[in-house]
Amino acid sequence: MISLAGRDILHSWGKFVLTGFGLGLLIGATLTMAGVYRGMVDDARALLNNSGADIWVVQKDTQGPYAESSSIKDDAYRGVLGLPGVAQAASVTYLTMQVRQGNTDSRTMVVGFESGQPGEPPYLVAGRRLIRGHFEAIADVKTGFRLGERILIRRHGYEVVGLTRRMVSSGGDPMVFIPLKDAQEAQFLKDDDAIIADRARTAANPALNRPGVPGLLDAVTAAQTINHSVNAVLVRVGADSNAATVAQDIRRWKHLQAYTREQMEEILIEKLVATSAKQIGMFLAILTIVSAAIVAFIIYTMTLGKIREIAVLKLIGTRNRTIAGMILQQALGLGLIGFVIGKISATLWAPAFPKYVLLETADAVRALVIIMVVCALASTLAIRTALKVDPATAIGG
Amino acid sequence: MDQGIHIEGLSKRYGEGDTAVDALKDVNMSIAPGEVVGLVGPSGSGKTTLLKCLGAVIEPTKGRMTLGGEVIYDSAQDGWKTKDLRALRRDRIGFIFQAPYLIPFLDVTDNVALLPMLAGKANGASRARALELLQALDVAHRAKAQPSQLSGGEQQRVSIARALANQPPVILADEPTAPLDSERALAVMRILNQMASQYQTAIIVVTHDEKIIPIFKRIYHIRDGRTVEEAGEGREIS
Repeated sequence: MISLAGRDILHSWGKFVLTGFGLGLLIGATLTMAGVYRGMVDDARALLNNSGADIWVVQKDTQGPYAESSSIKDDAYRGVLGLPGVAQAASVTYLTMQVRQGNTDSRTMVVGFESGQPGEPPYLVAGRRLIRGHFEAIADVKTGFRLGERILIRRHGYEVVGLTRRMVSSGGDPMVFIPLKDAQEAQFLKDDDAIIADRARTAANPALNRPGVPGLLDAVTAAQTINHSVNAVLVRVGADSNAATVAQDIRRWKHLQAYTREQMEEILIEKLVATSAKQIGMFLAILTIVSAAIVAFIIYTMTLGKIREIAVLKLIGTRNRTIAGMILQQALGLGLIGFVIGKISATLWAPAFPKYVLLETADAVRALVIIMVVCALASTLAIRTALKVDPATAIGG
Repeated sequence: MDQGIHIEGLSKRYGEGDTAVDALKDVNMSIAPGEVVGLVGPSGSGKTTLLKCLGAVIEPTKGRMTLGGEVIYDSAQDGWKTKDLRALRRDRIGFIFQAPYLIPFLDVTDNVALLPMLAGKANGASRARALELLQALDVAHRAKAQPSQLSGGEQQRVSIARALANQPPVILADEPTAPLDSERALAVMRILNQMASQYQTAIIVVTHDEKIIPIFKRIYHIRDGRTVEEAGEGREIS
């Protein structure tokens, strides 16, 4: 038996391809939305992987440093280092800001780290690591910065000496790595006028500017301008140590919050990304419904255009299941054309998105199954209409 | 007359009570294998209703129909003899319509081969049968063409081939020459006569085309649901 659906598609392939193209763009948008979610999750995982830490030590009663703000003293790492099972511990700061280069600026996450310690970018794609203690930077290629360029963070210029890749914040902003001390200063660095105003305000305070206490005013002014806070301490545990046990010890003895890799992943993915995931889920649901409505409308319209042929087919003895199969196969064929065009479109335009879009094969397979089911359901209206066609309409008009 | 088609006392009533309409009243017909008869009547006389009853598309109210020596309908014995009217139409009745109504997405061969395929015959055998008929109807050279590429006359010949595809004992032709000019209408009638004779098929041609009425040897006039048989001129087609 010949495939009536296949012949009809071949006969009016232009109509099918054009319709499939429109549907494909919609499916492409749906796949991209799923890719945006996957990209967010992957960004979060990349952030954790690239930090090179087994434990994140943050301010007590916070879920920092990524989901909430966290501030701890920059000597906290010393106490952590003394605990059994801790191999390495280092302070880090995170600050999301606009970094300027020439006349343009990029939204980045500026990371302060210490060379050779957790928090340092694990690999470079160009250039070198930081050698000097100040005013050098390593940038993610997504920032668009090039080796040797000077970038402006707050009031200080930094030379880009190294480039890295896939170093992004949980929000997808590319990272710029600078020395910890510079980052600490940058976090609270004020402009010149504000510093002068603060100094004058302190000097005007008789409690802080006593004539009989020389050096007091200088000490207070220095304390106001030097920042001794960091956002977190990243801990790497020894080969034989258990991260959960070490984190427990940190919580118990250091009065700080400590999260293991699993706990931090839960915070990032199930809390930080959760709202965005729901948002994307809503979009996916709406796009699926719209796709179903479009397929149903197209197949229904195509079927209405073949009412006379269907009446003739029924009159000459074609079984209902053959006619239903023809319409179902056409709906599935349309879905398949749409899927192929959608997959190609999503693959082509995903790299152009400013944030990472991760198109997973498993998602594509899931999408294909959903599209086929949606197309099958969408064809039921057309099938019902076709089965109601009276073969007598072929006779006598 | 065992073969061909025989109709005895066929009636069809639409509706009930005061609104009931008797579209057919005690119609009697008998057409032998190889014979082509005309069914002539004005609009609303019951031609289409009779064709639909003969085509097993609607159920008569009363009467008896025999097709190829087998009773297919008898109101006195539970109506249709088979529940699968679709198979009855497919295997035992050929249809030719006013317009050819070829399936636009199938080529000429497959339009004809579709019927044997629907009847369960192998694709190869079905296509061979289709080519044989297309050859007989002189359209084999257009076997691979799409229906839209054919002229009106060629399309009608293909539709005749389709009607003959399953070698039915009867073909019902519903005004097959209506859209054609005189020359083509006569050509179609010549073909129908040849095919009836060659394949021993009884053909009923519903028409009110004055050009072709003189060709029939026998004509059934239908008026107000009743048929009257009359000898036709049986004029030769030049």
